[in-house]
Amino acid sequence: MFKPLDPLLHSELRLAVMSLLVSAEEAEFPYIKEQTGATAGNLSVQIDKLSAAGYIEIEKTFKGKRPCTLCRITPAGLNAFEEYVESLKSYLKI
Amino acid sequence: MEEKNNMTAEHSLKIIRESIERSQRTINKNSALPLIWWGVCVVFFSLLIAHLWKNYGGPVWNMLWAVLWLIGYAGNWIIEKRRENIPNTFVGKVIGHVWTTFGVFCCGVGMLLGFIGCGMLPVELVMPNVYIFGCITSVISLCFGMGTTITGLVMSNRIIQVCGLVAGIGGFFGALHFPGHTQLYVMAAVATIGLIVPGLAIFVQNQK
Repeated sequence: MFKPLDPLLHSELRLAVMSLLVSAEEAEFPYIKEQTGATAGNLSVQIDKLSAAGYIEIEKTFKGKRPCTLCRITPAGLNAFEEYVESLKSYLKI
Repeated sequence: MEEKNNMTAEHSLKIIRESIERSQRTINKNSALPLIWWGVCVVFFSLLIAHLWKNYGGPVWNMLWAVLWLIGYAGNWIIEKRRENIPNTFVGKVIGHVWTTFGVFCCGVGMLLGFIGCGMLPVELVMPNVYIFGCITSVISLCFGMGTTITGLVMSNRIIQVCGLVAGIGGFFGALHFPGHTQLYVMAAVATIGLIVPGLAIFVQNQK
C-alpha cells in the first residue's frame, strides 16, 4: 500500500528548499536561490507557501545596512519532511 | 528549477540527494582555507620558536604560542568575513566545536606550562615528574590528530581521516624521540600533515 505524498513537498523547488534547510540551522535567501538555481520571484512564492503551511519560518532582518531574509525549518516542517521520505520509501520499496 | 508537481518517487529522491550533496560541497569548499591558514601559522610558529629556543635563550620563547592564537584567530575571522555566504549546518557546528575544544585544551595546558616556565607556579603543583613536560608535544600531536580525524569523519573525507591518523599517532611517538627544541620540528610536521595537506586536498578537489 502506497502512502500518500504530501502535495506541498511534492514539488521540485519546494522539495529542494526543504532539503537544503533540513541540514542547516538557517539559510539566507540568496544562498537558497543560488543552490536551487530558481528565480527570485518563483522562490519567493514557494517559500511563502512553505511558510504559510508552517513548514518554515521566515525572518526579515538586516546584515549591516542590507536587508536579509533568513529561512529556517520548523519542527512541523521537519516532521513533514521525514514523513515524505518515509512515503517515498514505500514507493521505492526501500 | 521549475515548479513541477508530477514527479516520480525516484526524481524526488534525486532532488533531495542533489540538494544535500550540493550544500555539502559548498561547506567543504569553505573549510579548505581555514585548515591551510591554521596549518601555516602552526608551522611558522613551530619553526620560529625552535630557532629562537636553540639560538637565543631557551624554552621561554614558548610564550610566543599565545601570539599564534591571536594571529590565528584574527586571520580566521577575516577568512570567515570574506568567504561565501553559507548557512550554519550541523556538520559545520560539530567541526567548529571539535576545534574550539582542541584550542581550549591546548591553550589551558600551554598557559599552565608557561606559568611554570616563568616561575609563577611551582612545577610540583601540577606535575610530580618533570619528564611529562618533555612529552607535552606528544599529547598535543595526539589531540591534533584526533581533531583532524573527527573532521574527516564528519565531512566523510578519507584523505583527512588518514592525515589525522598519521599526524596524531606519528606525532605522538615521534615527539618522544626528540628532546627540547627539536620537538617543535615534529609539531611542524604534524601541522603540515594534519592541517595543510587536508586543506590542500579539499582545495584541489574543489578545483575539479
